[in-house]
Amino acid sequence: MASRAELSNFLAEVERRAYKQALYAVRDEDAALDIVQDSMMRLSEKYGDRPAAELPLLFQRILQNAIRDHYRRSRTKAERFTSLTAFEGDDENPADPLETLELNDDISPFAAPHTALLRAETLTLVEEALQKLPPRQREAFLLRYWEGLDIAETAAAMGCTEGSVKTHCSRATHTLAVALDAKGIRP
Amino acid sequence: MSREEQFARQICRVLDRGAAQLERGVAERLRAARERALQRQPVLVPGAVQIGAGGTALLGGDEKKHPLRTTLAILVLLFGVGLSYYWNGFSRASENEAIDSALLADVLPPNAYLDKGFQAWLEKDSSAGQ
Repeated sequence: MASRAELSNFLAEVERRAYKQALYAVRDEDAALDIVQDSMMRLSEKYGDRPAAELPLLFQRILQNAIRDHYRRSRTKAERFTSLTAFEGDDENPADPLETLELNDDISPFAAPHTALLRAETLTLVEEALQKLPPRQREAFLLRYWEGLDIAETAAAMGCTEGSVKTHCSRATHTLAVALDAKGIRP
Repeated sequence: MSREEQFARQICRVLDRGAAQLERGVAERLRAARERALQRQPVLVPGAVQIGAGGTALLGGDEKKHPLRTTLAILVLLFGVGLSYYWNGFSRASENEAIDSALLADVLPPNAYLDKGFQAWLEKDSSAGQ
């Protein structure tokens, strides 16, 4: 069983990213905070007696379910449009942004931005591009790369197949690359 | 690491910066939410095993890990039940023994109490005396 200190450390380590994940999805600060708070409560109450190693995956499953519940309860017209493409028709889309992506390993404004202003601008553009992704692509990308889950864990958290995770991640990455390239940011 | 993964990692480094720069109010609300959540963590009493959502039973912890302890607890319980049954029987025998002793020590033979004629004579004699 995870000790109080282990659970506390885990929540402290994950809470900011969880908030950002929720915010990218629901685009409302109060709603995002409520989602994270409910998820932390649920983890602690229902799964607080589980081993510490199980907490990351359990928490992500709870968090993603909470975000989806929020969609169901209060989706706007715009959200309904994006969620339809993401939840139902995404795997059928044959578009492959990889063909338009050209990575340049020599230039990396992410690694060494010249000014604080450039850093802030880069962050804003990246977050805007993330928010525009279809929800399932964004979810897969953040779980796989930001939370560091492996493909099987990401699939378990999302409730889909590993193949879908790979597809979502690949499309998300390429869509982000294209969107950022259009803004003059080349990785 | 593939180029796709490299790009994703770079994106995540930018996102890490954003997460580290949360407004003070948001960070404080997250900290408060964490504290409230920690209050909800189930507390496991040493030597007790949790049952369902709220109760505990003092049966010696996880029976899968401690089968000997569980067996010992059951044996102690059975021994207690047997001892109680034996003690009740012993008490009843002692009471019967006391009644028998009183009957045997009396001036009347025990069979006199079973004789209906003797009972009738006793009643008649006591009413005549009054």
